[in-house]
Amino acid sequence: MASLLSPVLRRLRGLRRLPGLPRLAAEMPLRARSDGAVAGPLYSHHIPTSPLQKALLAAGSAAMALYDPYRHDMVAVLGETTGHRTLKVLRDRMRRDPEGAQILQERPRISTSTLDLGKLQSLPEGSLGREYLRFLDVNRVSPDTRAPTRFVDDEELAYVIQRYREVHDMLHTLLGMPTNILGEIVVKWFEAVQTGLPMCILGALFGPIQLSAQSLQVLVSELIPWAVQNGRRAPCVLNLYYERRWEQSLRALREELGITAPPVHIQGLA
Amino acid sequence: MAAPKSCALWSYCGRGWSRAMRGCQLLGLRSSWPGASLSARLLSQEKRATETHFGFETVPEEEKGGKVYQVFESVAKKYDVMNDMMSLGIHRVWKDLLLWKMRPLPGTQLLDVAGGTGLAWVLGDAEELPFDDDKFDIYTIAFGIRNVTHIDQALQEAHRVLKPGGRFLCLEFSQVNNPLISRLYDLYSFQVIPVLGEVIAGDWKSYQYLVESIRRFPSQEEFKEMIEDAGFHKVTYESLTSGIVAIHSGFKL
Repeated sequence: MASLLSPVLRRLRGLRRLPGLPRLAAEMPLRARSDGAVAGPLYSHHIPTSPLQKALLAAGSAAMALYDPYRHDMVAVLGETTGHRTLKVLRDRMRRDPEGAQILQERPRISTSTLDLGKLQSLPEGSLGREYLRFLDVNRVSPDTRAPTRFVDDEELAYVIQRYREVHDMLHTLLGMPTNILGEIVVKWFEAVQTGLPMCILGALFGPIQLSAQSLQVLVSELIPWAVQNGRRAPCVLNLYYERRWEQSLRALREELGITAPPVHIQGLA
Repeated sequence: MAAPKSCALWSYCGRGWSRAMRGCQLLGLRSSWPGASLSARLLSQEKRATETHFGFETVPEEEKGGKVYQVFESVAKKYDVMNDMMSLGIHRVWKDLLLWKMRPLPGTQLLDVAGGTGLAWVLGDAEELPFDDDKFDIYTIAFGIRNVTHIDQALQEAHRVLKPGGRFLCLEFSQVNNPLISRLYDLYSFQVIPVLGEVIAGDWKSYQYLVESIRRFPSQEEFKEMIEDAGFHKVTYESLTSGIVAIHSGFKL
């Protein structure tokens, strides 16, 4: 049992107390497990899982997400249980970039408690902040619906995937995509190319299964090529400190990233 | 007491609780905050921080009732489908066997505790039942007593509300007697069940609590002794499915 716990203890000693970081693992209740799996949680909400459990979760969540597309929590679980290797690559990419490294250091979070909605409202039209707020209003979504990470066994990587999730709405704003099924698939294609996360790739490939023939036609002929092109051209979107760019004009940001206007207006489709 | 309908009752046995109970006075008791109110009073008197188990966690005793309540609030919606998925429908066989043992007849005054729903139901606390003494012919509790904070009090209450000659029957998870099956059962319990809970019900933690609370429950023999301590006689048990569950029976004389 001691040999199983020592990697956990090493990680515990290595933790730094950062603003926005969930409670230190040392404060977490330790649970004895009869299956001998790693005992202590590494961050708030962390549920340590064995390789078998991760495999079962990955398979189960994939099946359930296909069966019931409203189970967004299953998409999140799929991402967490299949993303470990890719998250490391993303984290290293963030470390090498000055803006990304700051994000890793400061760990900003996007939620109604951390956003100053009044300030965003007062920003000029066409600014990132104002357009992001408009996107939230028009699509009637809130930044608070992102579930906390649970199945990633590394607290820094847990933050990376959390950041990816919270940045998703930013991508909608940048790409000008609505939150209907077609818009979500387009954003998934962009994310798949940008991040390489297995969950994004699976979502991009299997999402279109339920589309009508007409939507599928538009997707394949125009939207996917556009999303892939932009995804490859743009630098890593996780390296953008959005919270410091609220005043930046959306158009200027798009130019900076090389993101072009969508080829078709898809609000009425899907 | 009329006997002629007993044959008809048996033919309904395989189809579920409520039909088999037709003709009997069935009262279901939904446990609310088992033990919470009683233990809070005790604590203020004794001014001692007592702790108990909540699955594999240790919690202050006065918190257990509330935590158990939250678990069942959380699982209520998908309770039936989860039971079927986790036990592959075998829980229905266990419950049928309990009924078979019970052989209820028309006119039997039966109290089913922690039943969730029933024909006529009352909200109460298993450790402090809202009934007079010597009222029921049969007291049953299926997969409920494991979650009570003070099992001994629930047993005492069961004894109190039963008529002399009345029977106590408990269907509950127990200890597996075969070492190989035990390992497979542990593997299934800890590796598969919380995953099922997460995928089907979006709730890992409640099902983690479920499998942990099963390990915390006394063995067949220990539980038999507890039932005897509460004053019951002719206490016997029958293990089912290699001891995954057991039916304990006792009589009030």
